[in-house]
Amino acid sequence: MRLATALAACAIAGLVLAPAPWLVSDFALSLTLSCLMYVGLAVSWAMFSGATNYLSLATAAFFGIGAYVTAWGHGTLPYAVAVPLGGLAAALFAAAIGAAVLHLRGAYFAVITFGLGELVRHAITYGEKTWARTVGRVISDPPATETVYLVVLALALAAVATAAAVRASRFGLALAGVGSDEERARTLGVNTRLVKTGGFALAAFFAGALGAAVAVRWTYIEPASVFNPFIGFQTVLIAMVGGAHTLAGPIASAVVFSVLTELLRLQFPYAYLIVLGALLILLVLYLPGGLASLLERWKWRQRHA
Amino acid sequence: MPEPVLSARAVTVRFGGLVACDGVDLDVRAGELVGLIGPNGAGKTTFFHALSGVLAPDAGRLIVGGADLTGRPAHVFARHGVARTFQTPRVFRDMTALENVRFGMEFAGRSRVHAHDAFDDPQAILGFLGLGEAAAVPAGALTPARQRLLEIGMALAARPRVLLLDEVAAGLTHAELEASAALIRRVRDELGVAVVWIEHAVRVLMDQVERVAVLHQGRKIADGDPRAVARDPAVVEAYLGEEIEPQRLAA
Repeated sequence: MRLATALAACAIAGLVLAPAPWLVSDFALSLTLSCLMYVGLAVSWAMFSGATNYLSLATAAFFGIGAYVTAWGHGTLPYAVAVPLGGLAAALFAAAIGAAVLHLRGAYFAVITFGLGELVRHAITYGEKTWARTVGRVISDPPATETVYLVVLALALAAVATAAAVRASRFGLALAGVGSDEERARTLGVNTRLVKTGGFALAAFFAGALGAAVAVRWTYIEPASVFNPFIGFQTVLIAMVGGAHTLAGPIASAVVFSVLTELLRLQFPYAYLIVLGALLILLVLYLPGGLASLLERWKWRQRHA
Repeated sequence: MPEPVLSARAVTVRFGGLVACDGVDLDVRAGELVGLIGPNGAGKTTFFHALSGVLAPDAGRLIVGGADLTGRPAHVFARHGVARTFQTPRVFRDMTALENVRFGMEFAGRSRVHAHDAFDDPQAILGFLGLGEAAAVPAGALTPARQRLLEIGMALAARPRVLLLDEVAAGLTHAELEASAALIRRVRDELGVAVVWIEHAVRVLMDQVERVAVLHQGRKIADGDPRAVARDPAVVEAYLGEEIEPQRLAA
């Protein structure tokens, strides 16, 4: 029932948002694109990390891998191939490292996923310098903005639909069991290693595909910009502020964050990061359960009024 | 004699220099109700960890329903029909009681069948345990005693052939303890599930089981009829200084 509702909401959102490139200003379109990108990143992150409590900081790495698939394939791979291929490359990378590091928990897992991202960034920097004799790649012939927008919209909606389907499935139940008490889940027959690796790879697919899709918007691609740790931190913050254990929380929070970032950047071009940081601290201090907990609290009051 | 459903051969578990289980043998046959006792630190829980695949033994073999599962992960043991509870209840706190039971059925229990159709419904399992009205309550909000019962329900939903119970009666009043003991007998009688039961309340346990094994300092020092075991000099020796007087067990 809830799955059907979520899928219907995705379909409606798709119909409403698809004509935007032909109706709104360039600024509004760019803002919507940024919202959609963070919706996709935050929802897919929460699908794995919110359910299992494995805090992954590898989003920037997956995103960057996707972006580099686009960069390397530019001129030979059609955009429609580069995007899913970028997702697939990130998912394969996640499955490989997941098998190796998913026995680590808590801070250890967070630190190692962050470290792995840095490792990939430096490996690509080194490889490009040594073999390709370049520090960056130029996207000379990017697809039309409308195409990029529609692809990112499709990816964001696919991430939401997938997350909703996972929550309603046995796989989602297994992920929740891992998050609640991993050893208990194992003694009840869950192959936790497989479930964790699968969930991690599925989340990585969306980050990689989004990286591949968005990369064409930058004319110049270099490791420092596409493996930007800020993208990873922003994703985690958005999901946590929204409520990583919910589906709607990260979506709402991604929109609020992207709009807020943009407005603050316009109003206070030098101080916006300071204001954003202060807002974050306030949110974490006074609303640790995320924005979703506000709604839950309100519903609880309605019931007990 | 029928084939054992669970067979431990010379199981040894070491923690650094400490030998927690030292060459323990145990055969459990279908429908058997076996008590496992021993003073504090005798290695009972460690032995359960080995029997359920939570810990891989350093030596020895574990055979479940004829399949050698030595060294395999816990989920493989669960899928072969070994279900267990934990000494401190380990329920999924944010899930409802019903979801907790359904969890066992969705995974370990999925490819297995129960002898009894009545246990194919999570709600029926909760009813059997007297938790019927708590179905929609988050498991974390239940009292510890009820969480212990819920853990039995989670294990039963996994459609086990052998159920390992680690101190399900800890912290219960005498009346609750008698009720739990009766419940465990019913699990065996009505479902035909073999049960291995660790309990600190040795007297209640001895009244219920037809066989008891005693661990002491990681070794099995006795295994057999409860009355005979209670008179065993090695068992009496092991329990010296504990609050339970073994002489009284024989009474």
